[in-house]
Amino acid sequence: MAGFLYMSDLNAVISPSIIPTSLTYVIVVRCGPDQQSQALSAFRFTEELLLQGHQVLRVFFYQQGVHLASGLRVMPQDELNLTTLWQQLSLDYGLELAVCIAAALQSGIVDQQESSRYELAGASLASQFTLVGLGQLAAASAECNRLVSFGG
Amino acid sequence: MSCLMTLSHAPYGSQCAKESLDAALILAAFEQQPAILFVDEGVLQLLPTSQSPASHKHIGKIISALEIYDINDLWVEQESLDRFGLVADELSQTVNVIARSKVARLCAQYDQHLVF
Repeated sequence: MAGFLYMSDLNAVISPSIIPTSLTYVIVVRCGPDQQSQALSAFRFTEELLLQGHQVLRVFFYQQGVHLASGLRVMPQDELNLTTLWQQLSLDYGLELAVCIAAALQSGIVDQQESSRYELAGASLASQFTLVGLGQLAAASAECNRLVSFGG
Repeated sequence: MSCLMTLSHAPYGSQCAKESLDAALILAAFEQQPAILFVDEGVLQLLPTSQSPASHKHIGKIISALEIYDINDLWVEQESLDRFGLVADELSQTVNVIARSKVARLCAQYDQHLVF
C-alpha cells in the first residue's frame, strides 16, 4: 500500500502528514530511575521518534516508572536527571507525559489537587507531568499504530 | 486493535502481577479484551490458592474476574508449566497450552503486545 501511494501520488509523498513511514506511537515506561539504562532507553527512543517526525500520542508512566515524575529527586551532578530530560522533551514537542494516578499516589507522587484532597504535606509531581487514570493507557492504545513498552 | 499481554511475574513478592492484571481489566473495560499469555513465574498466578499474603490482594480473585470482563483467551507456555512441575488441569482457569517454539507465531496474530 505504501509503495502504491509513492508511485501514484506525488502529493502524498511531499505532504509530511501522510508520509507512509510516519506512525503514531504510545510509549509505556514501567522502569524507574533506579533502572537507569532501561529508563534512559525509553527516553532516547521517544526522542528519536520525535526527531524522525513520528507522532507520540502519549508517554504513559506506570509501576516503577512513576518515580520519574517526581520533582523532588536530586541526582548527583555528574549523572543524568531523567525527569528534567522528559520535561524538556515535553516542552520542545508538546509531548504528553501521563502518570498512572493509582501507582503515583502509592509512591508519594502527588499534584497540588491530590495533596489537598488527602491533606498531605505538599505536592511532588514535576511540572509537565499529569496524573491520569489507567484508562488513558487503554484509550491511547486503541488509537496508536505502535505501542512500545520499556521495563523488565 | 487486538492486544496480547504477556505476564511473567510471580503472583506475590511484588506488585507487578497485580498491576499487570489491573491493566488487563482496564483494557477490557475499554472493550479491548486482551489475550493473555502466562510465561515463567507468571504461570503461578493461575494456581488455585485459598489465601494470599496479608501484604497483597488475592491474585486468584482477580484472575477469576477475567471471565466476567470477557477475557477468555488465556494461553500458558508449556515449558513454563514444566519448569514448575504443573499440568494445565491443576490451574484455576481453562487455558490453551502453547509450546515456546510457537509463541512468536501467537504474538504475530495480534496488533499490539504488552509485556509485563
